[in-house]
Amino acid sequence: MSACRETELDALLADELSPEDTARVRAHAQACPACQHALSWLRAERGWMAQRARRMPARPALDFAALESRLRKPVVPTAPKVSWMHWGKMLTAALASVAFVGITTLQVTRLPSADEPWTRNDALTTATWAVDWCDDPSREAVAALEARVGACLVASPLITLR
Amino acid sequence: MKMVLAGAPPSDTDRERTLLRRARTGDPAAFRWLFERHAAGVWRFLKDLLRDEAAADEATQETFVRAHARLGALRDEDRLGAWLLGIARHVYLESLRHRGTHVDMDDEVHGSQVEAVLPTPTPEDLLLDRELEGLLAGALGTLREDRRAALLLRIDHGLPYEEISAVMGWSLQKVKNEIHRARLQLREHLAAHVGGHS
Ligand SMILES: [Zn+2]
Repeated sequence: MSACRETELDALLADELSPEDTARVRAHAQACPACQHALSWLRAERGWMAQRARRMPARPALDFAALESRLRKPVVPTAPKVSWMHWGKMLTAALASVAFVGITTLQVTRLPSADEPWTRNDALTTATWAVDWCDDPSREAVAALEARVGACLVASPLITLR
Repeated sequence: MKMVLAGAPPSDTDRERTLLRRARTGDPAAFRWLFERHAAGVWRFLKDLLRDEAAADEATQETFVRAHARLGALRDEDRLGAWLLGIARHVYLESLRHRGTHVDMDDEVHGSQVEAVLPTPTPEDLLLDRELEGLLAGALGTLREDRRAALLLRIDHGLPYEEISAVMGWSLQKVKNEIHRARLQLREHLAAHVGGHS
């Protein structure tokens, strides 16, 4: 190995290397003081993190009972809510003109109209329409993760965090 | 693909997959099991980002409320841990926006080599006592938020670099560079505060 690579040492400790790479990195590290030095830090890091995890304080958020009341039934992506009054208007219009119905239905299918009572919370509750609200500093990261797991991460009303 | 959260040993992976399937059908006991398996790691991650225990409580609950609502849309059953931590980071960033806090995300680090030669003392004697735990928290706090998140996803939550790349939205090379630089900063900070080791 021409260079000492900490990432490889890290992967060695995490048992993430192929058998060939494991043998190669291990052989190099045994003969390389710099890599042994780095390994000692990497091991220490792992030890500290494990100890820290074991010392987790008892927090109210870790009690499932505290969460239970906030859980709703799983949200199945659906079309946006359209009020009965709105449908009533549409039906009235339908009686007047079949062509008008066609156009109106198309519009409703595409987007909720501007006069519907859409709030930010409504938009977030209905995941299908939450895409615009994914716009924040983490947009790229979230988009990448969402693409990877095939799910929108924004799915519940915003809450004010302290 | 290996993915181990602290408190979630890999031997439980098959069980998690089974319970995830049950949770997706609406089984509350199965969701509770998943919560109890991952909540501590999610809380710790949020506490490290927010640096406030009460805020981490609230953000943890919000993370699981969202996860519960969208569980059915999670396709890769082996990525639950990374998925939850991704939601947690999103919740964290949202809370910053609500507080009007700006996060500098544009400090792209360039560099192709990740060298192991570090100008730091050896850590053999640095056992994690209360004092060092405080120092460690302080050292983590000096890291830029995104760099800190990436480092913790690796060293605390055991995510592979590829998973971190997905959670952070970074290239694999950037993940490696950022984590390496975070480690150097952490060690420099600790070395400066631990007498007799340099
Ligand atoms: Zn070396």
